[in-house]
Amino acid sequence: MKHTMKGLLGAVAMIAFTLPAYAADITVDLAGEPSSLDPHLQWNPDSYYVYRNIFDNLLTRSNAGEIVPQIATSWTQLSETELELTIREGVTFHDGSSLTPEDVVFSVKRITDPEFGSPQLGQFNQITDAKVVDGNKVVLTTAGAYPALMAQLVKLSIVPQKVVEAMGKDAFNAAPVGSGPYKFNDWSRGVAVSLTRNDAYWGDAGPFDNATFRAVPDAATRVADLLAGTADLVVSIDADAGAQLSSNADVKLLSAPTERVGYMGLNLDKAPFNDLDMRKAASLAIDRLGITEGLLQAGEVPVSQMATPAHFGYSADLPLFDFDPEKAKQLTSAKADLAATPIELATAPVFDQRIVQAVQQMLNDVGFNVSISMTDMPTYLGIVRSEPSENSELSFGRWSCACQDADGIIYPTLHSDSAWSRVNLPEIDALLEEARVSLDPAVRQAAYDKVNEMVRENYYLLPMYQAAVLYGAAADLEFDPTANESMFLNRMSIVE
Amino acid sequence: MVRFLLNRGGQALIAVFGVVTLVFFIQRLSGDPTALLLPETATQADIEAMRVTLGLDRPMIVQYFAFLGDLIRFDLGRSYVQNADVWDIISSRIPRTLQLAGGAMAVALLIGVPVGVIMALTRGRRISKALMWLILAFQSMPTFWSGITMILVFGVWLRWLPSSGTGTFAHLIMPSIALGLLSLATYARITRSAVLDELSKDYVRSARARGVETGRLVRHHLMRNSLIPIISITALELSQLLAGAVIVETVFAWPGLGLLTVQSIAARDFLVVQAIVLLGAFVTIFANVAADILYSAVDPRVRLAGKT
Repeated sequence: MKHTMKGLLGAVAMIAFTLPAYAADITVDLAGEPSSLDPHLQWNPDSYYVYRNIFDNLLTRSNAGEIVPQIATSWTQLSETELELTIREGVTFHDGSSLTPEDVVFSVKRITDPEFGSPQLGQFNQITDAKVVDGNKVVLTTAGAYPALMAQLVKLSIVPQKVVEAMGKDAFNAAPVGSGPYKFNDWSRGVAVSLTRNDAYWGDAGPFDNATFRAVPDAATRVADLLAGTADLVVSIDADAGAQLSSNADVKLLSAPTERVGYMGLNLDKAPFNDLDMRKAASLAIDRLGITEGLLQAGEVPVSQMATPAHFGYSADLPLFDFDPEKAKQLTSAKADLAATPIELATAPVFDQRIVQAVQQMLNDVGFNVSISMTDMPTYLGIVRSEPSENSELSFGRWSCACQDADGIIYPTLHSDSAWSRVNLPEIDALLEEARVSLDPAVRQAAYDKVNEMVRENYYLLPMYQAAVLYGAAADLEFDPTANESMFLNRMSIVE
Repeated sequence: MVRFLLNRGGQALIAVFGVVTLVFFIQRLSGDPTALLLPETATQADIEAMRVTLGLDRPMIVQYFAFLGDLIRFDLGRSYVQNADVWDIISSRIPRTLQLAGGAMAVALLIGVPVGVIMALTRGRRISKALMWLILAFQSMPTFWSGITMILVFGVWLRWLPSSGTGTFAHLIMPSIALGLLSLATYARITRSAVLDELSKDYVRSARARGVETGRLVRHHLMRNSLIPIISITALELSQLLAGAVIVETVFAWPGLGLLTVQSIAARDFLVVQAIVLLGAFVTIFANVAADILYSAVDPRVRLAGKT
């Protein structure tokens, strides 16, 4: 008895001493506050970093990038246009009600309703119908065969029908109720959103009791917060700030290649890039490795195509572009008048201007006549999406579809239908359409391989690098950054 | 006095109307927010649909009159970026900016005015010159630099103060100093020249001859007579503080109107920007009217002049 008592006291003391180490909270500094916590509304990183912890998605991606079950436990393709998903049982929302297949159907219909006006509509508008079958299954119907459907469902959050209908759009956005590993606690507008752990979560709820996402717009201040210990994880920092972190033992720098491709868009309807030799010269002049390793230094990788290893449709065997400024000079001097055509390089402040300036310098060094035209983002978007005659000769761009499928990046940048595309070739259009509707991965891969090769040979645009994302973290925080730039609290841990 | 106030009120209204109209059109000249609201993959059809949803497809003049109509009913509209009422968004930020402006004003007045008096009384001596150098340094330091330097020194190295954010009194100290430094310099220089002006007057010489000690002379004679320029500069400084808050709030992640302004402009959140500018114009105009009224309280001659 005495021993038991002692043991018990000892255990209590041990718990009391060890508890503070485990009863951890996390503070994350974001660049801005979420625009919305309703996952069917605004879709930008500062929003989804937060709401993806409050809500479960129909499917998710593992840290390795595989599509794995979340609310759907399994799925079968019934026909070209029908996908049947089995809905997980025993999942409850934060208000205690059960998550049902009806909630899944409601979520699909809500986000695809044009009246609702979701900015994400374009990602889901291929879905024409959703219905419950056999009590625990949901069948989604698409307008045609749609191989990227699964990749899109990774981003479909499930909301509780009864709660949403009772609260209304605004109230739900202000106090969201989900089924995810963290419960909404408080949103102090402009300051922070705080979450608490959902101890009733069906999966792993993660190591933190509470999580706070703060809006800290200045990157230098975010880094200072991390160094001062008032933040545990900070986003959107550059390599210079990273260098500052790597000299401090209390913090660490985390980096992951993303699915974002940095590229130069060429106007194929205007001189000088309506000429193949000029396009080739421009490509030969750009030192891609110099940009990634000398300039960006955050783990970026040169690419040979408008896709990355994180995408389905990536052609692994396509060799990188050559860097040969001497050969470029030969090409430009052979057509010196053409090369001297004034070239406007469109860019916007959100992009890393070091890259833009480096590219300008590299091109001018071999005989081009490039000047930078920097405008604010909406003006830039207006320019790069306008008709070829009004478009700039050259533009810098970064592209991500957050779907990890080549369809989301190659189609919009190369198909003649898309406002972004400067390319108008029936052969490329046909290949991209084939890849868009085929459910056979081998057929799709073959089509993308062909397109990637054609783009590389004809320099229709100039892919440069796979972008990386940098995070600063406290030394004891374990966090695996992923290509889709998600931040799941329940996949983090604290090391002693 | 009533006519004076009515006159001033009428002028103020016209100014507010002009500001609102200018802001409405200039903002819309600079581009359309729909492209920013939608993901990169949005098609032209998606963009058009969103423009209709937001009412941005209507002719600009129709949008303008709809906006004026709402304004008369005190309806500031709804932010389509933040999905909330503009008034709710702004009203939650106003107290934060008032706190910051109050803190900065306290720093500027409580340090700036005494420093100005000391500089005037010690004119030509080494201490006055040293203070002048310091004041000039304060005036020349850009806020984003002094702010981040303070964060590094007091937040990261010494850890005396929280590096950013809001919540406690300690959070307020660094942003207030960063924002107040520029005004502090202005106050010190204005006070110095006003006091010097008074020092050369006959009544000061007589008072000194009567044997009035310096402290009493400053408190009872010099200060009151030097107040007019300080009051009129306060009205100007108040609008300066609101402008400076844009940078200070960004550096310190202080969730006030300044930070909201930056975020709203970047996101093309037209209605929020309009409302902030309207508020700014209102504050500036009101501060000037208030300064006019205060003059008359301090100096009865101004009141008499207003009557005629």
